[in-house]
Amino acid sequence: MQPEAKKPLISLSGIYTAYEGDHAPVIRGLSLEIHKGEFIMVGGPNGAGKTTLLESINGLLKITHGHATVCGLDVRNKGHEVRKRVGYVIQNFTFDPLTPFSVKEVVMMGRYGKMGFFRRPSAEDQQAVERAIGMMGIKELEDRPIGILSGGQQQKVLIAQNIARDPEIMLLDEPFSNLDFLSREFVMDILEKLAESGIAIVLVSHAFDDLPDRDIRLVVMKDGDICFDRTCPSEHVEATVREASTPGAIHA
Amino acid sequence: MLEFIIPNNILCHAVEAMLFVSVATAVLGVIITRIGISSVGFTMAHAAFAGAAIGMFLALPVTIAAIAASLAVALLLGPLSEKAKLSVDATLGVLFSLSMAVAIFFISYMQTLGQGFHASSLLYGDVISLYREEVYSLALLAVIVIVFVILFYKEITALIFHRKIAESTGIRVKPVYYGMLFIIAVSIALSLTIIGGLLLYVWLVTPAAIVYQFSYNLRHMFFLAPVVAGVISVGGAFTGVTCSLPVAPLTAVVFGVVFLVAVLFSPKRRISNSKN
Ligand SMILES: Nc1ncnc2c1ncn2[C@@H]1O[C@H](COP(=O)(O)OP(=O)(O)OP(=O)(O)O)[C@@H](O)[C@H]1O
Ligand SMILES: [Mg+2]
Repeated sequence: MQPEAKKPLISLSGIYTAYEGDHAPVIRGLSLEIHKGEFIMVGGPNGAGKTTLLESINGLLKITHGHATVCGLDVRNKGHEVRKRVGYVIQNFTFDPLTPFSVKEVVMMGRYGKMGFFRRPSAEDQQAVERAIGMMGIKELEDRPIGILSGGQQQKVLIAQNIARDPEIMLLDEPFSNLDFLSREFVMDILEKLAESGIAIVLVSHAFDDLPDRDIRLVVMKDGDICFDRTCPSEHVEATVREASTPGAIHA
Repeated sequence: MLEFIIPNNILCHAVEAMLFVSVATAVLGVIITRIGISSVGFTMAHAAFAGAAIGMFLALPVTIAAIAASLAVALLLGPLSEKAKLSVDATLGVLFSLSMAVAIFFISYMQTLGQGFHASSLLYGDVISLYREEVYSLALLAVIVIVFVILFYKEITALIFHRKIAESTGIRVKPVYYGMLFIIAVSIALSLTIIGGLLLYVWLVTPAAIVYQFSYNLRHMFFLAPVVAGVISVGGAFTGVTCSLPVAPLTAVVFGVVFLVAVLFSPKRRISNSKN
């Protein structure tokens, strides 16, 4: 193995993350390493800290203690630089039905951070947007206002927005919650392809049916820390999450 | 600047001042209402009013005092509004009433001291006794606001779309957001003595609300809101000065009437405009 491949894309060691104004941290002493092209599934009960973990990785939330390096940058003071290189599909979103942006504009917004101030979209930006829209199969929606699409369609737009960014890492927070089973398979396929192309995928999900048919690295969270982190066959994932999340389970 | 069409100096300055103020506030108003921070704009406007009254009482530069008060409120509310924890309704209510109380206290007190004329310009505005330099500074303000929107159009649209998503794409949201609050504070302070603290909010919110009755398209709104506001304000200044009517209140009434008519003829027939 080359040393290059061994250097992790995400490296968290003993991090603590608290919400502003709260004293007790939600993430407590968590450590995690993720490499290029890895596909990781994150499970665990509601309130375990999965969303908080994702937002610690891309620096939206403030890490109070510990070390966090993502894409070779210190998240604690280079958050916006990290976010230019890390996709994040958020868990909860609602758009005003009258929001004045078309699907295409929303997907383009995925590249705004990368473009930086005072720049207009270039031909390269346009191509990236076209590609992402094509990949997600939402070409026929591209001129529609995002506010009047169905929840599942909106979710696909947000995924496309993050693909358009050409990220090195994709964080997805329950991206299947609004998708029908065909779309779930479709999106899972895309995530697989992205992982094969070298993007690290961190997928928080409670949907275990459509996992790729191979061994998967499974991380289970409980009470703000990781209680299980191992590779297991996809058909065992659901049982493993269930077992690892049960109170009193032996920590791995 | 417009002396070649309006030979009367007083009328000319009045028209120019109203034009520049209305362009600046209307453009900012589109951002404020679409981002959904109308309540922040509202509170900032009234804080500026209080700051100006205190400044005038203490014989400090009124505009600086107004900027300071408005900015202080912006900095206080900024972090709260950022987190969308706008269950700060009560806080805003208290701040608003406090501002009004402070402003009116000092204005009434100055009136008993015989400084009534200046003090009442804070209440109702004054377009009659303007210096040329004041008009120039308002023109500069309008230009700065427009340039700000053009330069940061990408970031502003992303903020209007969804603050958290904007931030997660790596946009440096904070500098844009606080830059915007700063420009709002300065605009409010400079417009204050023209329009008056009691009516300022009409200029900030009504033009965007009028245009919103006919278009959701942001580019249209950014273009049409200042046009509508400019036409109404220039008309108000003309009529007011020529007929010796109070300019700002007259114009504010016209804004209100145009808004009601717009609602009646709106293809959407909806009044609410502040939801994002
Ligand atoms: N904005 C917030 N302010 C304060 N505390 C929060 C906030 N968001 C989440 N928390 C707390 O942090 C803890 C972890 O929440 P988090 O959203 O990370 O859980 P999760 O694993 O994503 O759950 P779910 O499966 O329901 O999405 C919870 O105890 C929650 O109460
Ligand atoms: Mg969550």
